[in-house]
Amino acid sequence: MTDAPVKLSVDKLTKQFGSLEVLRSISAEIGRGEFVSIVGPSGCGKTTFLRIVGGLEKANSGEVRLDGRVLDGPGSDRGFVFQQDNLLPWRNILANTEIGPEIGGYRNAEQRSKTMKLLKLVGLAGFENYYPRQLSGGMRQRVNLARALAVDPDLLLMDEPFSALDAQTREIMQTELLRIWEEGRKTVLFVTHQIDEAVYLSDRVFVFARRPGRINEIVNIDLPRPRPLSMKRTPEFVAYVDHIWKLIEDDVRASVLEEHA
Amino acid sequence: MADAALTEAQTQPGFGASFAAGLKARAWGLGSVAGGLLAWEIISRFIVGSKLFLAAPSQVVVAFFELTGSGELSKHIYISGLEFIIGYGVACILGILLGLAMAQSKAAKQALQPWVSGLYATPTVALAPLFILWFGIGIMSKVVVVAVLVIFPVIINTEAGLRTTSPQLIETVRSFGANARQIFFKVSLPSALPFIFAGFKLGIGRGLIGVVVAELFGSRAGLGQLISQSAETFNMPALFAGVTILAAAGIAMTSGFGWLERKLLPWRE
Repeated sequence: MTDAPVKLSVDKLTKQFGSLEVLRSISAEIGRGEFVSIVGPSGCGKTTFLRIVGGLEKANSGEVRLDGRVLDGPGSDRGFVFQQDNLLPWRNILANTEIGPEIGGYRNAEQRSKTMKLLKLVGLAGFENYYPRQLSGGMRQRVNLARALAVDPDLLLMDEPFSALDAQTREIMQTELLRIWEEGRKTVLFVTHQIDEAVYLSDRVFVFARRPGRINEIVNIDLPRPRPLSMKRTPEFVAYVDHIWKLIEDDVRASVLEEHA
Repeated sequence: MADAALTEAQTQPGFGASFAAGLKARAWGLGSVAGGLLAWEIISRFIVGSKLFLAAPSQVVVAFFELTGSGELSKHIYISGLEFIIGYGVACILGILLGLAMAQSKAAKQALQPWVSGLYATPTVALAPLFILWFGIGIMSKVVVVAVLVIFPVIINTEAGLRTTSPQLIETVRSFGANARQIFFKVSLPSALPFIFAGFKLGIGRGLIGVVVAELFGSRAGLGQLISQSAETFNMPALFAGVTILAAAGIAMTSGFGWLERKLLPWRE
C-alpha cells in the first residue's frame, strides 16, 4: 500500500450464484493513482469481483466505496475496458470513443478536442472516420481503452483486455498501456490470467484463490518505473513471477483437472 | 501543375469511358438478356406465329406506346401505385410497431406469436375475394391485401433484429450508465436496422403480388385489371406490357432499397 489517499475500498464483499459461493468476504483498499492487478486460476471470481466494482453485477453483501461514496450500479465515474472490444459496428472510431460522454449528456466541442487528444494518445490519430471492421484487433483494443478514458473516470477497470491478442501485440500493448497510464496516473484495477503481465504492469498484485474466491496474498511489486520490456528478463522480475505462480499452482492444477474430468 | 491535371484526367474518366467500362463489366448479363429477348422474338414470330398466344417483344413495345398515348397506362399505373404505396407504408409502420412490442414485452410476444406464425405461413392472397367483398371494388380492398401480405415479414424481421442484439454491446453502454431509452436508441435499434431493411425488401415482391391478385378478383382500374382485361380479349401485347411494368417496378424498388441501405448503413461490408 502506498501513502496515497484511499481511492477504492471494498468491505466484506460476498457473492453467490445459487449455491455456488463465488466470493467470500473480500476486503481491500486501493490508493489513488495505484495500478493493481488481480491474478488467479479460472473460477476464482476475479472477473466477478471486477464486474461488481463496475456495477455490472450486484454483490450479496458487503460494500464498495469510491472516494468514500458507496457505489450502487454502473456510472461514468468508472471506465470499464472489456475483454472483447465491444465496439458498436455502425459507429466510426470517433463516435465509438465518445459514447460515454454522449450517454452522460456532455458531448460538446470541448469534449471533442479531448477525444481527439485521447485518440492521439492511444496512437489512433487519423483513424477517426474508420469503422471498427476496418481495424485490427490491437487497434480495436486501443479504441476500447480510449472509450473508457473518454469519461475521465476516477477508476479504470480492465477485464483481461489483451487476452484476445497474439503474444507480440500483447507485449506492445502492455508497454503502451504503461505509457498512457504514466500520462494521467489513473487508479487502475486490472484482471489478468497472465502472471508476467500482472507483475510488469502493477504496483501491487492481488493473488486470488478459488472455491470460494478470496484474496490469498497481496504482493508488492518493488520494481522501478518506467519499466522497459527487457525488465521481464531480470532476476527480480522472474522471482516475482515465480513467487506468484507457486501461490496459485495447486489451484490452477485443480481447476485444469476439473475442466478435463 | 501539368502533372496534377494529368492525374486528375486519369482518375476521373469521362462519362463515355465510364459507361463503356460499365457495359464491359456487365457483358454477360446484358448478353444474356439480349439473347433471351431475341429468342422470344424469333419464337413468337416464326414458331408460334400468333399474337393471340404469344406476343413478341417488338409487339409489346408497340402496345406500350399505344397505351401510353391513350393515357390509359398512366391511369392504371397511378391506381396500382397508390394501392401499393398506401398498403406498403401502413404495413411497414404497423409491422415495426408490432415487432417492437413483441421484442420488448413477453406478454405481447406470447399473444402475437401464434397469429404471426400462422398467418405468415397462410397464403393470405387467397383471401383477396373476401377482402373485396368486405371493402368493395375500389382501392381500399387492394390496400388491405397488400398490407396483410407485407406486414408479416416486417414484424418477424423487426422482432428478430431487436432480439438478437448482442448482450455484450448492451452491457458496454450500460457500463457508462445508459438508461433503457438510451440502450434502445443507441444499441438495439441500430443493430436491428439491417434486419428491418431485409423485411422491407421481402415485402416488395409480396406487395406487388397482392396488388395484381386483388385487382384480378375485381377492380375498375390498375395494372392487374389491365392484365385480366387484356387476357379476356386475347390482347397479349397489352398483357405483356402490364407484366413488364410490374417486373420493372419490382426491380427498381429492390435496387432502390439496396442503394438506400448502402447509404444509411455504410458500416456493413
